[in-house]
Amino acid sequence: MLGKLMKYEWQSTWKLLLPANLLIVVMTFFACITIRIGRSSHYDITENDGVLFSAIMILVTYIGSMFVVMIGTAIYLIYRFYTSAYGDQGYLLHTLPVDKHHIIIAKVAVSTAWVLLSSFLIYLSVLFIFASDDGVIPELVDSMESLTREIGGKPSVFAGIMTLIAFVISILARVLKVTACLSLGQLSANHKLLMSFAYYFGIYFLQQMAGSFYYAFLGLINSKLDTYYYGRPWEVTLIAGLVYVVIFYAVTWYTMDKKLNLD
Amino acid sequence: MTPIVQCRGLTKVYGRKIALNQICMDLERGRIIGLLGPNGSGKTTLIKIMNGLLNPTAGEILIGGVRPGVETKYKISYLPERTYLYPGMRVEEMVRYFQDFYPDFRMDRAYDMLARLQIDPRERLKNLSKGTKEKVQLILVMSRDADLYILDEPIAGVDPASRDYILHTIVQNYNRNATILLSTHLIADVENILDEVVFIRYGNIILQAGAEQIRRHEGKSIDRFFREVFAC
Repeated sequence: MLGKLMKYEWQSTWKLLLPANLLIVVMTFFACITIRIGRSSHYDITENDGVLFSAIMILVTYIGSMFVVMIGTAIYLIYRFYTSAYGDQGYLLHTLPVDKHHIIIAKVAVSTAWVLLSSFLIYLSVLFIFASDDGVIPELVDSMESLTREIGGKPSVFAGIMTLIAFVISILARVLKVTACLSLGQLSANHKLLMSFAYYFGIYFLQQMAGSFYYAFLGLINSKLDTYYYGRPWEVTLIAGLVYVVIFYAVTWYTMDKKLNLD
Repeated sequence: MTPIVQCRGLTKVYGRKIALNQICMDLERGRIIGLLGPNGSGKTTLIKIMNGLLNPTAGEILIGGVRPGVETKYKISYLPERTYLYPGMRVEEMVRYFQDFYPDFRMDRAYDMLARLQIDPRERLKNLSKGTKEKVQLILVMSRDADLYILDEPIAGVDPASRDYILHTIVQNYNRNATILLSTHLIADVENILDEVVFIRYGNIILQAGAEQIRRHEGKSIDRFFREVFAC
């Protein structure tokens, strides 16, 4: 049943989100060409106002499209989770003969995949934009290596892979945080969405407090705080991410399974 | 054989409001049962608890001897009063969706009913009228070979001309060993198909009796008797 849930989840999201992600690719292509032409020694785009205006418009549209795709993807996935799990379509979803774990895994896995795809394309797009200017990429790699050494880390393939895994886990934790807040919000008799936002900001505040206490505690036991924390950039992100994944998953599952409250 | 539904002290409280008050009730198999009561009497709350969409505050409910869960969802075919179809899907995609998740779904029966009601399977659900969407939902629900059909206001949103066909569809398409629990305000339209009636008011079951028994004992139709019992 998990496979079927994921199939339908994918089918109902790709029609909107795939074109949105393709927009990033297309806009990157135009932005790269614009930068190449702008840096060309054979042609000065500032000589022609029309060409200059078009170039500026392409770059502004490029930056705007990145924001629109990132924010739009997040809003769409939140809306879809809410309507399909706690809106009218919840009457169908929750009467299917499937385990609640499968429902959550299917929705969270597909949402995380979309967020990762958008993030990956945007990072790649920025790299391409930098690559349009010869010599920037090697410079960027050098400065990242020296920054890693400066904060106490050791640049290596292993550290790179673990950083990537930590990044994926942190995205998963963010998606689950949203599902947990929407699940808690539906417990209210009225203003369910508003309550979901309240839970989100409440949890955000608690996370910030937990982080502050953690660093304060480290400061007490270790005078060389900078080295202790910054020397373990991916470890801290990974462990915190895994803790949040467990907590938010448990909250989502418990409220969906034991406290479902459809209008 | 165990009753298809058993309620023991079933209670649901919303804040200070008691929606269901210690309900004790058995529903037998192979019957068409009308769950009748005015607005806010607790009908939909009871139905939601049967489907696992709400959890009771106290008491117990068993469907075929087990508590609501994955197992009972194989047994129940539920038509809510809301439109739960995915608007972006075509009718035929929704039919496949049901076939994918419910092993007892009969595709041939669904297409036969769609053809009889002249609903184009290629049509997108968002392009259909509210009444047609309700017909599609009813077709999907009645195309299953379930043990218990729970129909919440199945004819409220459709035109009177289609009501007879829908009621005919319900009666013709359900498994004879199954039970239909039908909640509606339109008692006159459905009373001829009912075997049994459950009256509910303020979260209490005030009457559970055979339809024929009521007619004989009270000397009037169920619709008339309902109006008298629930007169404001």
